[in-house]
Amino acid sequence: MTERSTKHATFTIERTFSAPPSRVFAAYADAKSKARWFGGPEDWEKSNLKLDFKVGGRESVSGGPPEGPIHYYNAIYQDIVPDERIVLTYELHLDKTRISVSLGTTEFKPLGSGTRLLYTEQAVFLDGYDDAGLREQGTRGLFDNLARSLEMQ
Amino acid sequence: MTDRNAKHATFTIERVYPATPARVFKAWADKEAKTAWAYCHAEWPVSDHVFDFREGGREHLVTGPRGGTRHVFDAVFLDIVPDQRIVYAYDMHLDRRRISVSLATIELFAVAGGTRLVLTEQGVFLDGYDDIEGREEGTKIGLDNLGRAFADQRAA
Repeated sequence: MTERSTKHATFTIERTFSAPPSRVFAAYADAKSKARWFGGPEDWEKSNLKLDFKVGGRESVSGGPPEGPIHYYNAIYQDIVPDERIVLTYELHLDKTRISVSLGTTEFKPLGSGTRLLYTEQAVFLDGYDDAGLREQGTRGLFDNLARSLEMQ
Repeated sequence: MTDRNAKHATFTIERVYPATPARVFKAWADKEAKTAWAYCHAEWPVSDHVFDFREGGREHLVTGPRGGTRHVFDAVFLDIVPDQRIVYAYDMHLDRRRISVSLATIELFAVAGGTRLVLTEQGVFLDGYDDIEGREEGTKIGLDNLGRAFADQRAA
């Protein structure tokens, strides 16, 4: 029997981009654009990212190293204000095990001709499988990818 | 134009009930049982209530003072461990305005004489709606109602 436990945590990441809020927001709102930066490391095998970007809509993507485990990301969009804010909840599974449920708020604010992005994640980590430090580190990596993807366009 | 902002907050409430974890869990898992205690304004009529208690299932409840502001509760159940844990996300609307989105964790622990319940709410309160203390108070009212329900059953 699984030993049940929870760990609640909140972390915040702030990034600035030279692209305006409408462009940074567009990198979230379209499946093809989002797939360019959102997902695991380069060497992972990945599924196609599915995105139904509307309030109540869902998003899913999975991937993992060749030897496993497969990481499954499933999200539900809770609040969308174009060019300004996205609130979603997502859960992560490693194979069949749910390891966390999170509430993620992304705020896009104009900063000169660019964007200040503020991401707040409020999470519950389940049954000892993950923690806030690792999650924050992984999320920072995603924003590095986003920055590169915005520069390439 | 609405002035957009987001205020994040977390609160935790604990209660001990004179009932087994299985009975406390049932008070959350069953539509009739939950309706009996969960709402901080028992006098408000409920105009619509959908309750589908399974992972991925939804709860949708519309209530509010007669002729007044509609309070809409929309939840999705995300993690269910029978008799031990429920994680759900919910948002609250006042009429058409979304005022908050929250992640709630309910944990049940067997203790001498009953069950310790720990509720953790992690929320984002939107666009100037920042009555976080009010949310915590309302949640406590619901959990106290539940305690009275168990006390009444024991006395009966």
